[in-house]
Amino acid sequence: MLKNYFKIAIAVLRRRKFFTFISLFGISFTLTILMVLTAFIDKVIGDNYPDKKRDRLLYVNRIEQKGKDNMTSGTLSYYFLSHYTGMMKTPVKVAISSGFNGTNTYVNNKKIAVSYKYTNAEFWDVMDYDFTEGKPFNKQEVDNADHVAIISEDMKRQYFGDVGPVVGKYIEADNVNYRVLGVVKNVPVTSYMFFSDIYLPYTVSKADYKSKSYGGGYMGVLLAASKDDVPKMQAEYENLMKRVPVESKDYQHLYSHANSFFRSYVDTGNEASSGVFIVVTAISIFVFIFMLLPTLNLVNINITRIMERSSEIGVRKAFGASSKTLVYQFIVENLILTLLGGIIGTLLSVIALWAINNADLIANLQLSINFTVLFIALLACLIFGFLSGVYPAWRMSKLNVVTALKAQ
Amino acid sequence: MFKHLFKLIWNKKKQNFLLMTEMLVSFMVLFAVFTLMVYYYDNYKKPMGFKYQDVWVININNSYQTKNTDSLDLYYETLRKIIKSLPQVKDLSFVSGNVPFSNQINQGGLTFKGKHIDHLNNFTAEDSYKETMDLDVLEGRWYNKSDAVSKYKLVVIDADLKEATFGKEQAVGKLLGNDDDKKKMKVIGVIQTIKRNGDYVKAGPGLYFRADTGSFRWLSKILVKVSPGADAAFEGKLYKTMAGYMKNSNIEIEHLTNKLKDTNYFAVIPMIVLSIVSCFLIINVALGLFGVLWYNINKRKGEIGLRRAIGATGNSVSSQLVMESMILATLSLIIGSFFAIQFPLLNVFDLSAHIYIIGMLLSIIFVYLLVLVCSLYPGRQAAAIYPAVALHEE
Repeated sequence: MLKNYFKIAIAVLRRRKFFTFISLFGISFTLTILMVLTAFIDKVIGDNYPDKKRDRLLYVNRIEQKGKDNMTSGTLSYYFLSHYTGMMKTPVKVAISSGFNGTNTYVNNKKIAVSYKYTNAEFWDVMDYDFTEGKPFNKQEVDNADHVAIISEDMKRQYFGDVGPVVGKYIEADNVNYRVLGVVKNVPVTSYMFFSDIYLPYTVSKADYKSKSYGGGYMGVLLAASKDDVPKMQAEYENLMKRVPVESKDYQHLYSHANSFFRSYVDTGNEASSGVFIVVTAISIFVFIFMLLPTLNLVNINITRIMERSSEIGVRKAFGASSKTLVYQFIVENLILTLLGGIIGTLLSVIALWAINNADLIANLQLSINFTVLFIALLACLIFGFLSGVYPAWRMSKLNVVTALKAQ
Repeated sequence: MFKHLFKLIWNKKKQNFLLMTEMLVSFMVLFAVFTLMVYYYDNYKKPMGFKYQDVWVININNSYQTKNTDSLDLYYETLRKIIKSLPQVKDLSFVSGNVPFSNQINQGGLTFKGKHIDHLNNFTAEDSYKETMDLDVLEGRWYNKSDAVSKYKLVVIDADLKEATFGKEQAVGKLLGNDDDKKKMKVIGVIQTIKRNGDYVKAGPGLYFRADTGSFRWLSKILVKVSPGADAAFEGKLYKTMAGYMKNSNIEIEHLTNKLKDTNYFAVIPMIVLSIVSCFLIINVALGLFGVLWYNINKRKGEIGLRRAIGATGNSVSSQLVMESMILATLSLIIGSFFAIQFPLLNVFDLSAHIYIIGMLLSIIFVYLLVLVCSLYPGRQAAAIYPAVALHEE
């Protein structure tokens, strides 16, 4: 049966080449855009380098204090993070790191812009950076405030050029010489919580990391012993924050949360508006409008095509085919068309992604088609084919046998 | 004639409804794209307000702090002398963190004569700011030394704020402040609005305050005007000099030219992506419309043949078909405009009304053109139908 449908579908497609072209163009292009979008989202949110143990992690990247008319919100101080997470029992380890800041260094009369980030020693245990050479700094080196640094591959290439191992060499940043301890694979800047060119021990920071004010430049990542401990860890942090007093009389409430990666990634910096809601709504509206037009177009084309086949439908009906069979046949035909468009769309998106990667719009952000992306594309194909097939098929099945036969 | 066309459209309402929905959605997409384009163009044609070439920004993190204001001033005045003594430095000004093309914002609000002005940028700068930035003073003057002692608190405003508060009147010499404020500020000058968000994004109104003693505590950036030939070697020297003097600070030097490029990049990339996507959507819609109209005409051969047989000219037949699709387009545009007009009425995105209106007009013209182009060829085909052949077919 299916084989017959397939044969009919191909025959129909070849009959009106212009219409086939329009349909395939619409489907494949829409899919290409959707796939590039999912590839991008998947890379930005789904890529778990360097925080590979993501299912065991919770992220703390903001503290908000609110008074009647005033509020302050921002990253936390080193003191706040180390002091309060130190009281917690569930986390096995706590990574604390500053956001990345910029400075310059000058080599051979050439300027290099450098991002630097301060971390504690546990940061390297919680995160799984891929070291191409060397090793991370340990607690001893942090406590001694040694001038040591971990650098990214990009930084190594820019500063030292294409040379062999650089561990043990010195790199000058911010007018201070640091001994290179290790080189790690690049992190794209979209992972703003982990991106940097140079990673330094927090103890060498020129800012006063001992300051007891709540706000500062640091973020924390809590590691639970197992996946099951995560909810417990989250509850413990929430309870702890309820007991933390506000910093001054100007404020009445204090909020800080240990969130999952996605929730903390899209945080808006304001307790009142949910970043998750905004992001999900924005993407849904875009995708909806974006799919609506091609679907409408396809429905239009399909109706036209079906009316052309009214004699065939009339004959089939006259010989006893039920409406259900006809609807079924037409949807299958349409799915075949959509899948064909899907294959072309996949090819197009491979080309598009290749072009985007080559254009290097965002450094180190290599987009690729993976199984998630392919699966979503397939799903979109099916929904697309189904949506644009149902209404025309229904219209078709309602055709009166006599009029259908008389039409020609 | 129109009555007849409406009847024809009504007879095929189901199919026409789908076509209309398609035109409606295309109109909304075009409206969004054109509005954004008009908004960008509107900002693009405004003057930059200052000369950003050869101006560098020095960011100082974790700067020198002391409770004693005198030693604070001494420390930074020494720094100023050190930088100024470098050969290629022309001028410099300590400024608040919200320099042009940076993400940092410092905004407040103002209620003036019952009108509330939102997103008002507050800047703090020194007397030398005018020379460093090569400001365009439209009215009055920039600050000078004599402003240190003054009865009123003085303020310089930019053209956008003047437009919002005093309108076309002269602003210099007038008082500015919240309606319920007792101590109002006196406007001494109006400068051209500095496009702090790059070429394409609106800057918003701004208030400029004069830096006074103690401001060094939080003036975290220095703008330096250098001579045109200043290169990386000189920049390295400037950096070393600064770092040598401010041992406890993190220092970063950026060029406004590069910062402008980055800022524009972030504005232009979404625009390009949106344009490419909507371009393909429109091609898609155009092909679809063309196909459907073409097919419809083939189906109506009998009707057309009959009209030709009783004396209608080819032109009148093709214009009938074109008119039919134009009426469809008009109907969907009326509905679309109803939705579109809500944007300026409800002031959804804080854009001025004329941007929406131009965007709307452009998209209306575009949809009409699209429909015209798509129906012209099928219409011409219909005109070429011979009555004898067409009637013979039935």
